[in-house]
Amino acid sequence: MDLADIIRDLGALETSTLAAISAAPDTPALDGIDVEVLGKKGALTGILRGIGALAADDRPRVGAVANTVRGAIEAALAARRAELGAAELTERLARERIDVTLPGRPLRRGSLHPSIEAMTQIAEIFEQFGFVVHESPEIEDDLTNFQMLNIPPDHPARDLWDTLYVDIPGHLLRTHTSPGQIRVMQAMKPPIRALLPGRCFRYESVDASHGFEFFQVEGLMVDEGVTLADMKGLLDEFARAMFGDGKKTRFRPGYYPFTEPSVAFDVECLVCGGPGCPACGRSGWMTILGAGMVHPVVLQYGGLDPERYQGFAFGMGPERISMLKHGITDLRLFMENDVRFLEPFR
Amino acid sequence: MRAPLSWLREFVDIDLEPEALAERLTLLGMEVRGIERRGLAWQNVVVGELLSVEKHPNADRLSLTTVTLGAGEPLSIVCGATNIAPGQRVPVALPGAVLPGDRRIERTEKMGVVSNGMLCSGDELELTADGDGILILAPDTPLGVPLAELYGDVIFDIDVKPNRGDALSIVGLAREVAAITGSAVRMPSFEVVESGPDVADRLTVDVIDAALCPRFVGRWVSGVRVGPSPEHVQMRLLAAGVRPISNVVDASNYVMIELGKPIHTFDGSRVERGHLVVRTASSGERLVTLDHVDRALDPDTLLIADDHGPLAIAGVMGGAASEVTDATTDVIIESAIFDPVSIRRTAFHHALRSEASLRFEKGQECRLARLGADRAAALVAAWAGGSVARGRVDTAPDEPGEDRVRFRPARVARILGADLPREAQVDLLARVGIAVASPAGAADAKVDLVIAAGSKPRTVQVPAAATLEAVVPSWRRDLAIEADIIEELARVNGYDRIPSTLPATALPLFRPSPLALRDVVRHSLAGFGLREVVTHALVSPDHLARWSWSAPPAPADGEGRIDGTPITVTNPLSADHAVLRQDLVGGLVDTVVLNRRRGRDDLALFEIGKGYGRVADAPHEWWRLGFALAGAFDPPSWNRPRRAADLGDAKGVLDALCATLGLDGPEYTALATEAALHPGQAVTVLARTADGTVGLSGVVGAIHPAAAAAWDERAEGTILAEISIRGLSGGVPSVPRGVNPSRFPSVERDLAIVVGAGETAGRVEAVIRASAGALLRSVELFDVYAGAPLGRDERSLAFRIVFGTDERTLADDEVEAAVGAISAAIIDAGGRIRS
Ligand SMILES: [Zn+2]
Repeated sequence: MDLADIIRDLGALETSTLAAISAAPDTPALDGIDVEVLGKKGALTGILRGIGALAADDRPRVGAVANTVRGAIEAALAARRAELGAAELTERLARERIDVTLPGRPLRRGSLHPSIEAMTQIAEIFEQFGFVVHESPEIEDDLTNFQMLNIPPDHPARDLWDTLYVDIPGHLLRTHTSPGQIRVMQAMKPPIRALLPGRCFRYESVDASHGFEFFQVEGLMVDEGVTLADMKGLLDEFARAMFGDGKKTRFRPGYYPFTEPSVAFDVECLVCGGPGCPACGRSGWMTILGAGMVHPVVLQYGGLDPERYQGFAFGMGPERISMLKHGITDLRLFMENDVRFLEPFR
Repeated sequence: MRAPLSWLREFVDIDLEPEALAERLTLLGMEVRGIERRGLAWQNVVVGELLSVEKHPNADRLSLTTVTLGAGEPLSIVCGATNIAPGQRVPVALPGAVLPGDRRIERTEKMGVVSNGMLCSGDELELTADGDGILILAPDTPLGVPLAELYGDVIFDIDVKPNRGDALSIVGLAREVAAITGSAVRMPSFEVVESGPDVADRLTVDVIDAALCPRFVGRWVSGVRVGPSPEHVQMRLLAAGVRPISNVVDASNYVMIELGKPIHTFDGSRVERGHLVVRTASSGERLVTLDHVDRALDPDTLLIADDHGPLAIAGVMGGAASEVTDATTDVIIESAIFDPVSIRRTAFHHALRSEASLRFEKGQECRLARLGADRAAALVAAWAGGSVARGRVDTAPDEPGEDRVRFRPARVARILGADLPREAQVDLLARVGIAVASPAGAADAKVDLVIAAGSKPRTVQVPAAATLEAVVPSWRRDLAIEADIIEELARVNGYDRIPSTLPATALPLFRPSPLALRDVVRHSLAGFGLREVVTHALVSPDHLARWSWSAPPAPADGEGRIDGTPITVTNPLSADHAVLRQDLVGGLVDTVVLNRRRGRDDLALFEIGKGYGRVADAPHEWWRLGFALAGAFDPPSWNRPRRAADLGDAKGVLDALCATLGLDGPEYTALATEAALHPGQAVTVLARTADGTVGLSGVVGAIHPAAAAAWDERAEGTILAEISIRGLSGGVPSVPRGVNPSRFPSVERDLAIVVGAGETAGRVEAVIRASAGALLRSVELFDVYAGAPLGRDERSLAFRIVFGTDERTLADDEVEAAVGAISAAIIDAGGRIRS
């Protein structure tokens, strides 16, 4: 073969290969052409094998032509590959189309009980003000539940706590978390900022706002110079944290034998915002907790000198807080545990 | 306490609107729970007079009446009552009237006759409790006048706190109103017109136990005529919530409401020789009380008796035999002071808590015995006629002077955190009738000041100059120590006048919250898809018997054991809630049943709560986690068939929980002996911390079919677990250890191991773990197969076993050696390797 033959063969290879590339129906066909023409044992290599017979001067020329041909074929392959790839991808995407409106595969969703969640939230708010959580027994003795809280036996104030008694002499089911005040004072030295959440019991007929089992959160702050004004400030902050900014609050006299002065703490009705509605007994206010300055007798039972130490205590019902916050109208729902009631409290 | 505005106005001037007065009373500590407008529902109800009453032409049970309103044409009105007669004055609801209960009155046709309105009963108007007949008004009631003008009133429902017995009276509340308005209180008249013999000729009283009856004042009224009280008295009593009975009884009730002094009246002819004895009961004595109950009297019961025996339970209830009746002509008025504790105990003992006993329980000022007797005698004479004998029988006529309570004006400001000068304090106390005196004596003298009384008294010595003395009115028995005066100042001043500050005192030391670990468990389980519930701690004896573990598993380290005898409530509300639970699963089963009854079949519930027991006469409480899986655990959907939860789901929950708590993978041991659980589908679970302490321990299994059938068939198939977790009673979550991931690849080998009928996956896995050597990283069962070509009782358990080390890439022969060791151990244990 001489130079002219080789040049001609290269030209013919280019022409036929370009034709084959543009006619290739799919990517495998292109891969076949790629191997047949450009592969180690392909047609291009075959033609160039004849180069050895050429004069040394001619070889670079053939090389240049061969590179041009190779370049043209590679470019055509790449172009056709892209063309076919796009078509194939389009076809695949069409094939893989699903009914995206089909429902998802559902995850099981749990929930947290609103009584416990309210207690937790109350605790979190007061923890921000340095309060620490304590717990005290649910089966209490009469001494701690009543007498050390300045409620002697046969005191008319006992009417405020209808009591369930148990068959352990001198014991009862605690009617409130207030005995925890005594236990904390006896165990800790001031400064005391304690929070006592837990289950309580009363001899009480069940209705939409009463139950014989319920939760309470007690708070106690005792040190030198803790004032009623401090209690007002702290409880105002609590109401703001729990119910949001801008809700009016009100302190008015209350009565508990273990605090003096005693107060009731009201927040403006979350339903009507003040004018009065059935939810607030037409008063425009909702009572959220009772509080007061710890009675000197109680401080003494706690082992503290009432001349030196003073402070305040408060107690609230997390269910009541939860009812106000979430618009729940029946206390019985909390211990009934209908899952339709529980579901929203995720 | 129901306080009619018209009655309050008798004793104090009131210019405030009812709502404003209610708010001020509430802010003063006399919480107004409700305002009732009596007469608001009587629009278009007027006074009419019956001109004629005839039979209805078409209906036997109805009458056809004509009624005049004084002016205009008489109205024809159909009426169904039988107590009406011409000449009576009655309430007439005209067309357009709206009666209580939103009952609209229109001109209607009744059995062919037009009725131009309705004659009303007291009940229909909520004016009296009588619904049987038409309310017959006094003959001098003005015709045509709207009823609301005659009987309309505003009634405050006031929550009087237990320490303010003095305010359980109209006069007491009038004093509170006066503290608001600054006006003076007018007391009722205590003037008694006396005539005839000296009371001592008629009535003598012996008090045997003066501690139980410190004062007894008696009066005698002769020649009374018992009958209905004047109409305005009846209406007033009704407005205050007291049912009128007769003029004599009404007089005693009137004094109780007006002054807060319970009064008892006896028929004088029924008291032997007019001689009353106040004593405690002897054993075996009985008394038929006013409610016609024959009561056995215990020796703690204080009695009013005569020589024959008991006449009344003092302060609680009178006896039927000495009751004032229509035939009574001579009345003994008893106005006594009794020991509050004795009255309270007796009232509780006989379940007879009355308006009277409630007032006695709170303690009464000594003076009231005299005032009540005089006032009652005057009212009996005014309403029932008769003459009041001269003088009173009085067992303790000396009335103590006012008490003085020392307080420190500076201390008031220090407790309240308010700047309240001495002079302001003096002014505030004056508004509630408390005068203030400065202490006598030298300027540098020290005086005793009571800062605590009662069962833990405390007195301090302070400079006299720093103190003031509050001169407490006799009716304010609640003011005894400095703190009482501080409270009085705070409430009269108003809490809104006290500043709102944030505490500036020292902070306590850090203390981990006992809720911390509980919260981790709660949030984990909710994340796993379980729903938190809170069930009753008080359950029925049945429930307790059914849901107590036959062999309670050992608790996690540091947690309470399930222990002790059940604790019983001695005064339960109902048998359903009479004992304290010892388990959590019972409440969960009940919750499953309740929800399934309501159509929710798929349930995953948990509760963290306490069990309770009595150990050696001391209460014992422990914390547990309980959970219940019933129905599908994964919510079924179009692309996932419904699959009921089984033990595997429960173990999955526990495995994940252990991982969350940083516990090593739990070990499960078959449990065939728990009565509540399926013997073939129950295990105990035990997981340890890295240092070997028990971090989690409990039982889990499918409910026993027999237990489900015996309790409620809806519980069938439920998976139950009760778990003790270290720290549940007040611990903190463990701290995870960091891991440096290995740079070298691990090698996986799958082994299918064929075992016979008696073999368990757990034992096979244990064999693998024991034989695999140090390179083992994990073992995981990924397939279980039974059927051809395996033998009939054989199962193939396929495990994925992963080997690796942090130091190098494993060589093939190392892995093969480990697999060989496993294979040999399996064969030793009676299994074979399936290739
Ligand atoms: Zn409202």
